Amino acid sequence: MNSRFSPFRAAFLVLIISGLLCTGCQSTNQTSILRYGLTLSPSGLDPHINASAELGIPLHSVYDTLIVRHGDTGEFLPSLALAWHISADGLVYTFNLRQDVHFHDGTPFNAHAAVANFEYVVNPEHHSQKAAAMLGPYQKAEAVDDYSLQIHLNEPFSPLLDSLSQVYLGMASPIALEQWGPGEYQFHQVGTGPYRFIEYIPNDHITLERFADYAWGPAVYQNETAKIERIEFQFYEDLATRALALERGEVDIIGEISPQDALRLSSHEEFGLFAVPIPGQPLEFFFNTELAPTDDLLVRQALVTGVDRTRIIQTLFGDLSPVSKGPLSAQSFESLLQEDNPSDGNSPIELLERSGWVDTDDDGIREKDQRELVLNLISPPWGSNPEVAQLIKVDWESLGVIVNLEVASSFGTLKQIETEGQYHAIGLNFFGTDPDLLRSFFASDGVYNWSKYHSTDLDYLLINAASETDMSMRNTFYRQAIAHISEQALVLPIRDYVNLIVHKNTLSNLHFSAQGWFPYLIDLELES
Amino acid sequence: MVSLPYRSRTRILTQLLQRLGLGFLTAFAALTLTFFILRLIGTDPVDSLLAQGLTSAEQAESVRQELGLDQPLLTQYVEYLSGLLRGDFGISLYTQRPVLQTILEQFRWTVELALTGLVIGILSGLAMGVTAAWWENRFIGSFAATLASLLTALPVAFTGILALWFTRDLGISGSKIVMPASVLGLSISGAIARLVYSNLLESLHGPYILAAQARGIQRSFRLLWHALRPILPALVSLIALEAAFLFAGTVVTETVFSRPGLGRLMVRAILDGDYQITQGLVALAALFYTASHIIADWLALMFDPRLRETA
Amino acid sequence: MARTHVRSSLKGDGMRRTPGFWLSVTWLVTICAASWLLPIFLPHDPYLPVADPLLSGRHFPPLGTDALGRDFLSRILYGSRMTLSAAVLSASITIISGIALGLIASTTSNWVDRVILGFVNAALAIPGLLFALLLTAGLGPGFRTIILAIGFGLIPGYTRLARSVFLQIRQAEYITAARSIGMRPMRIAISHILPNAIRGVASFSALHFSWAIMGITTLTFLGLSGDPSIPELGALLNSGRQHLQIAPHLAIIPGLLISLTILAIYRLSEELD
Repeated sequence: MNSRFSPFRAAFLVLIISGLLCTGCQSTNQTSILRYGLTLSPSGLDPHINASAELGIPLHSVYDTLIVRHGDTGEFLPSLALAWHISADGLVYTFNLRQDVHFHDGTPFNAHAAVANFEYVVNPEHHSQKAAAMLGPYQKAEAVDDYSLQIHLNEPFSPLLDSLSQVYLGMASPIALEQWGPGEYQFHQVGTGPYRFIEYIPNDHITLERFADYAWGPAVYQNETAKIERIEFQFYEDLATRALALERGEVDIIGEISPQDALRLSSHEEFGLFAVPIPGQPLEFFFNTELAPTDDLLVRQALVTGVDRTRIIQTLFGDLSPVSKGPLSAQSFESLLQEDNPSDGNSPIELLERSGWVDTDDDGIREKDQRELVLNLISPPWGSNPEVAQLIKVDWESLGVIVNLEVASSFGTLKQIETEGQYHAIGLNFFGTDPDLLRSFFASDGVYNWSKYHSTDLDYLLINAASETDMSMRNTFYRQAIAHISEQALVLPIRDYVNLIVHKNTLSNLHFSAQGWFPYLIDLELES
Repeated sequence: MVSLPYRSRTRILTQLLQRLGLGFLTAFAALTLTFFILRLIGTDPVDSLLAQGLTSAEQAESVRQELGLDQPLLTQYVEYLSGLLRGDFGISLYTQRPVLQTILEQFRWTVELALTGLVIGILSGLAMGVTAAWWENRFIGSFAATLASLLTALPVAFTGILALWFTRDLGISGSKIVMPASVLGLSISGAIARLVYSNLLESLHGPYILAAQARGIQRSFRLLWHALRPILPALVSLIALEAAFLFAGTVVTETVFSRPGLGRLMVRAILDGDYQITQGLVALAALFYTASHIIADWLALMFDPRLRETA
Repeated sequence: MARTHVRSSLKGDGMRRTPGFWLSVTWLVTICAASWLLPIFLPHDPYLPVADPLLSGRHFPPLGTDALGRDFLSRILYGSRMTLSAAVLSASITIISGIALGLIASTTSNWVDRVILGFVNAALAIPGLLFALLLTAGLGPGFRTIILAIGFGLIPGYTRLARSVFLQIRQAEYITAARSIGMRPMRIAISHILPNAIRGVASFSALHFSWAIMGITTLTFLGLSGDPSIPELGALLNSGRQHLQIAPHLAIIPGLLISLTILAIYRLSEELD
């Protein structure tokens, strides 16, 4: 009992134990391992059910889709489907499938498996957040024979091919879907892609391993099978920790880095910067057209012109992000966007005064009918939305407006605020490669019609564009729709999204899919 | 340890059982408090679901019945308790997965972090406290005392950020356990150090030690050990108390170092408005807190014979 | 309960007016004066971007700009003001409720005392931060919620301490004397117990004030304050750490301010003991 309990001995013991613990933490594999940093930790990882773009980063390589879209030309190329045919009335799509494909669990891929996938997606009990909506007026899918798949629609729907090229409609093994069911399947995913899904521990990591049998990659892939044996994805939700993770060697590549960090890191020899524009909607805010004062077109126009977007972007993103030109990103949808500003020439102050909002008592705040001009600005918590919102608030306040800024704590809370309806401007944007994206936001019955705008003209344009098969006719519809949206100042678009990815220079051959977010993991090469 | 006579042993056992009973009562009361706080000041979970589009107006009624929300509050409470006894913490409405499973998945990381942090905290606290008392008139002693004071005031978040900044050029990985655990440990080491320091000071100047020195025991580790022994019960109690601060510390540390764990889960659940998980976590926390107090009491009884006399 | 008496200076052994005491008082007075008075003389609005972001103190004196181009000195000063005011509000809630509950518990019937003590012990089984987080969960994130959550969250601990002080005083002779001449308990409580209690509660009241600061800055650090443009030391600490490599002072200065203030209050509360 005397010198046994010596503080120094105890300290020594603990040092040894912690040393052992630490060495235990490090992996000692001989195989090539890539550590990929993810950002958002999604609430669910099932691509058929959940909607986040983040899940596609690993899962895009776990699944194959019926067709793929070329990143540059936008044309559709064969993948699991070798050829396809659309009926004259646009209601029946027939796909001839490859016959040499099997899932990671050994079972064969065929038309029956495909049908099972569609049924899983549209099953109302599964509450698919994105995939089901992407199928539009879907009626049913059937296997005409073992390798011929037919999809029947209730109405013509042009975006269908684009939908089918996305990971949300990737082909999963029906045995696995059946065995695990929604909720559990996300932990036991089985596809046909170049990487197998090994495990997913929420908030911690996702592990993928190379699938050696892969031999049916689409033309967009350069390699026939993957080069890197194993990929481990870790989550870095806090912006502050991402650059840190890269610098400390915890990851080899990570996206959504802040512009300042991106510039700083890329000046090192060790790292390279890869900027990927993401097609879809820009970071934007929707005006509530059913709540005063944003129900007044002049007020909305004033609020749009009153924001110095160039300065906001310069402050937050430097030169790394383009100013948005409309409700869709310019890089992919340039031809649809307008050149000039609809509220031409009128200063925001003129517009406000014309609509009756004047500062009568000289207190710096505008009034009308004895009520002050107050706006509720709601920002989502992700990305740079809170910072952009703060700067928008400053610009609006200089116009003599009181702005209440609230940053929603989650997507759920954001939706809740929207349901309550007490907002004047609310931020939201989705990404996508088909302009039909606009429909859920601007059609009268659109699920995300958060501007609460109802116009038969606009509905006509958007609905017909969805079913129109002639490309140039479609584009004309969308051009007119976008002009309408701009004239009515329904949204305040800020910047087109550019994903800043920083990677170690030992990693090469980085390519991204047409959707912008998803890397072709199969093509990556890692120098050892 | 000396073998105790039969009557002493039963007395100790009774005391321990009493403490255990009291502990469970307290944990139970905490659970009740949690349940009613969430139900009374929070929003209706079904309304929440509706607003977020996770259920339709038609389904809302059936969801309400499934969850038992249409029943009086007391019935719900009883249901919840009986569920807990069966080990059923309910299902999160947002992830559709059982709460207990979600918690258990994250459990490991927090336990790793907390235990390592606790060990580091105790050791560094002891080291500082002993140094401050043993060399009380030298610079190193005063330095240790001041350092301990300083550490009690530093918020864990700041310590973590400082740690990240000072080691930025060293290439030490932030997500391995060493840094977060050290930061966590340092946050509790201050209080431990101060307790050890002040009590050890009294002890070293007390008659007990003077007598030992008179018997010829030099200023050495042996003397130190003699002086430390009476402090152990108070120290152990303090450590149990620190378990509460440890929880606050893990929440912040997990955020600063981007580590997974229960702390992050808790913050996430609050931001998402997920009551089931919040309730489950608080239930667990109350249980652990009570358990750590009970263990501390037991250990104190073991270490200090003087406490055993009290009825 | 072991009484801790920590030596606070290298030379001399005074209990009350040590250099530490004066340092603490000086610091607290300085920070209060600075946060409330200095902004009058400064030209910049803490909410308004005035220059390029992340400028150092050399390019934009005296402390440079934050990530949105706002003057950092203004953010800091208003931030201190925000934190201190919020802490005062929270601590007021705690102290007033705690004293009331403690008084009621110690002076009215035994049964009432048991009930209050029961609630207090139940609440104390939940770790402090967790309790505050629980209240935030129910009320939803927001700055007001944080003030309430911390304020209410500290009540159980404070009540217990206050109650024991009141009980001690109650046993004093002059109270027995008052009761024996038939004075009503309420009168005894207010005119005799309360004034004498002030000395007893001063120390841990100060301590609770520092815990209020700790709690508020932690919750705002975790992002539960709703509007990120509000300058507040915990929120500044959080937004500062996003750019630790480029502009470390954005995180270090708020952190230092929080730490020094808490330290000063700790020192003061010790002296009041």
